[in-house]
Amino acid sequence: MNRKWMIWLVVPVLLTVLYGCPKKKPATPPADLPIETQPVTPPPPPQQDVPETPAPVVEDAVEDPLMSADMQVVNDELRRRGFSPDVYFNLDDSALSDESREKLARNAELLRAQPQFQLTIEGHADERGTNEYNLALGERRANAVRDYLSSLGVDGGRLRTLSYGEERPVCTESEESCWSQNRRGHLVITGRANVG
Amino acid sequence: MTRSKAFALTSAVTVLLLGLALPGIFAQEPPPVVDTPPPGTDPSVTLELNRGQRPPMKLAIPPFRGTQALSGGAAAAAREMEQTVRQDLENSGYFDILGADRLGPVTWSGDIKRDVEQFRAAGAETLLLGDVRAEADKLVFEGRLFDIASGAPILAKRYRGSFNVTRRVGHTFADEVIRYLVGKPGISLSSLAFTSDRTGFKEIWAMDYDGQNQRRITGHRSTSMSPAWSPSGDALAYTSFFNGPPGIYLADIDTNRKTPIVTSGSMNTTPTFSPEGNRVVFARSVDGNVEIFTSDRSGGGLRRLTHSNAIDTNPAWSPKGSEIAFTSSRAGNPHIYLMDSEGANQRRLTFDGDYNDGAAWSPEGDLIAYTSRRAGRFQIAVANAVTLATRVLTSGPGENESPTFSPDGRKIAFVSRRSGTKQIYIMDLDGSNLRQVTREGNNDMPDWSRIPSQP
Repeated sequence: MNRKWMIWLVVPVLLTVLYGCPKKKPATPPADLPIETQPVTPPPPPQQDVPETPAPVVEDAVEDPLMSADMQVVNDELRRRGFSPDVYFNLDDSALSDESREKLARNAELLRAQPQFQLTIEGHADERGTNEYNLALGERRANAVRDYLSSLGVDGGRLRTLSYGEERPVCTESEESCWSQNRRGHLVITGRANVG
Repeated sequence: MTRSKAFALTSAVTVLLLGLALPGIFAQEPPPVVDTPPPGTDPSVTLELNRGQRPPMKLAIPPFRGTQALSGGAAAAAREMEQTVRQDLENSGYFDILGADRLGPVTWSGDIKRDVEQFRAAGAETLLLGDVRAEADKLVFEGRLFDIASGAPILAKRYRGSFNVTRRVGHTFADEVIRYLVGKPGISLSSLAFTSDRTGFKEIWAMDYDGQNQRRITGHRSTSMSPAWSPSGDALAYTSFFNGPPGIYLADIDTNRKTPIVTSGSMNTTPTFSPEGNRVVFARSVDGNVEIFTSDRSGGGLRRLTHSNAIDTNPAWSPKGSEIAFTSSRAGNPHIYLMDSEGANQRRLTFDGDYNDGAAWSPEGDLIAYTSRRAGRFQIAVANAVTLATRVLTSGPGENESPTFSPDGRKIAFVSRRSGTKQIYIMDLDGSNLRQVTREGNNDMPDWSRIPSQP
C-alpha cells in the first residue's frame, strides 16, 4: 500500500523535471509551454498528519488557479495546498476532535492568506436518528467549525453555515464505515468577497 | 382532490335524509378512559391504552343491490364505492362486519321486517343496505341502516355524483354510519401529508387516509420535508432547501401557491400549526444554536421561546393550544420536553430510551407519541403527558420513526424501514392491525390531517 502512493510523489517530480509543472486543468496558454512560476507541490497523501507549509501565492494572475472563476478549480487548488475539505464527528456529537482542530488550523492559515474567498460550511449527519434532529445536529456541527475558524482569525463575515442533516450523504451503505464518513463538516469555497 | 373542492363536491352531491336517527337506541360511547398510575409521575409505569373500547358491533353488509344491472363505467364506479364503504368501516375498528361470505345467500321480499330475520339469524345487530343505479352519467347510491332487533330504519341517505367521485361518496357515507352508530366522527375523509423521493427528489405529497389518491404537492426538485397540516386542512407548512438554506414555506392546497413563512438566517425547520391555525411553531438557528420560535402564518410576530445552549427543535403545538412539546439535548441526549405556549415552565417529559424525538399529540391532548431509541433500535412510544407513564408500541428491527395520530386518536401512522425502504404504516393504538399504505420510493414524515369541518 505504502509503495503504491509513493509513486504519486515520484511521478509528479519526474514529470516536473521533464516538462515543468503538471497542470490539472487546461489553461489559457498553450499546453506545451513550460511554466516555471509555479512551485512544485506534490498532492498530499491522504490522512497526512503534518501539513506542509503553504505554497506562496503566485503573482501571475493568468497562471494562478486561485484566480479561476470556476470554484471547483479554486477548491481543487486549495486542497492541493493542504486545505482539508472535511472534518469528522462522533455519533450524536458536535465537538471538534484534536485531529479536526489541526486540519482547521491549517485551513485557517490558507483562508487568512486568501481573504478574497467566502466559505460555506456544510453540516452533515449519518442516517441514524430522526431527519429533524439530524438537521439541528448538522447545524451545530457547522457552527462548531465556523466558530473555531473565527477563533483562529478568519473573518466571520466570510463564513456561511448550511445544515443538510442526513439529506446529502456521501456514502449510502448502512454500516459504520459509511456512517463515519457522513458525520462531517464539509468546507467549500463558494464565492469571492465583494471587496477588491 | 383539494379539500375545499371536496366540500363543494359534497354539497353538490344530492344528500337526502330519508329517515331520522333514533336517539337512545344506541348509547354514545363512554368517554375514553386512560388507566394511569396514581398522582405523581412515574415514567417506569407502563401506560395502559384502554380507551373505553367496547366489543365491535356486528354489522351485516350484504352485497349492494343493483350493481348487477350496471355496465361499463357505472358498474366499475359502483364496485369502487361498495369497496370503499366496506373498507372504511372495516378500518374504523368499530365493527365486526358480516359480508357475503358469512351471510350466505340473501333473499329480499320487499318487507324489511321479514328480511332482517335472515341477518338476525347470522348474529348481526345492524344491517347496512346499499342500492345503486345509474342516471345518465351519474351514479345514484342509497345507503340505509336498520336496527335488526326492531326492524326500524336508523339512517337513510341518497347521493348522486359523477363516476370519478364515488370513492369520496363512499368515505362520506361510511363516516355518516360511524357517526350514527358510534356517536363519533369518522376519519374516512382525512388525509396524510408525507415526503416521497419517488420522483428522484424529496417532495411533499398527500394521500387519502387509506393510501389512495397519492398526489404531489411540491415540485421544487430539491429537498422538501416535515409537512404539517393547518388545522382546517387548507394549507401545509413544510421545510425546503430549494432556495439554499432550509426555510419554512406554506403550500396552499386549493391554489397550489407556495409562499415563504420564515426563511431568514441559516436554518428554519420543522413547523407545526397552533390549533387555531393562525401561528406556527418551528426551530430556528440563532446566535449559533437551534431554538424554538413562533410566528404568525406569514412569518411576522417572531417570538423566541427557548434560550438553552443545547439543541431545541421539532416542536409540536398541543391540540388545546396551551402547551408545546419539543425535543432538546439539554440533558445530553435528545429528549421530549414540554413548555407553555409562551415558553414558560419548561420541563422534561421522557426519561426512558436514550434518544427521543418527534413528539406528536393525540387529538385529545392526553398522549404524546414519539420516536424512541431502545437498545439501539428506533421504536414508536407513547407517553401520558401528565403522568409520564409510557408504552412502546413497536418492536424488532426496521427503524420505526415519525408517529402521527389519526384525527379520532385511535390509530398511529408511522414510518418503518422493515421492508428495506422507508414506507408509511398505520396501526391501532395498541400496535395491532398494522397496514402498509405506501410502496413507491421512500416515504417518510407522515402528518395526519385533523377532521375536516363539516360543509
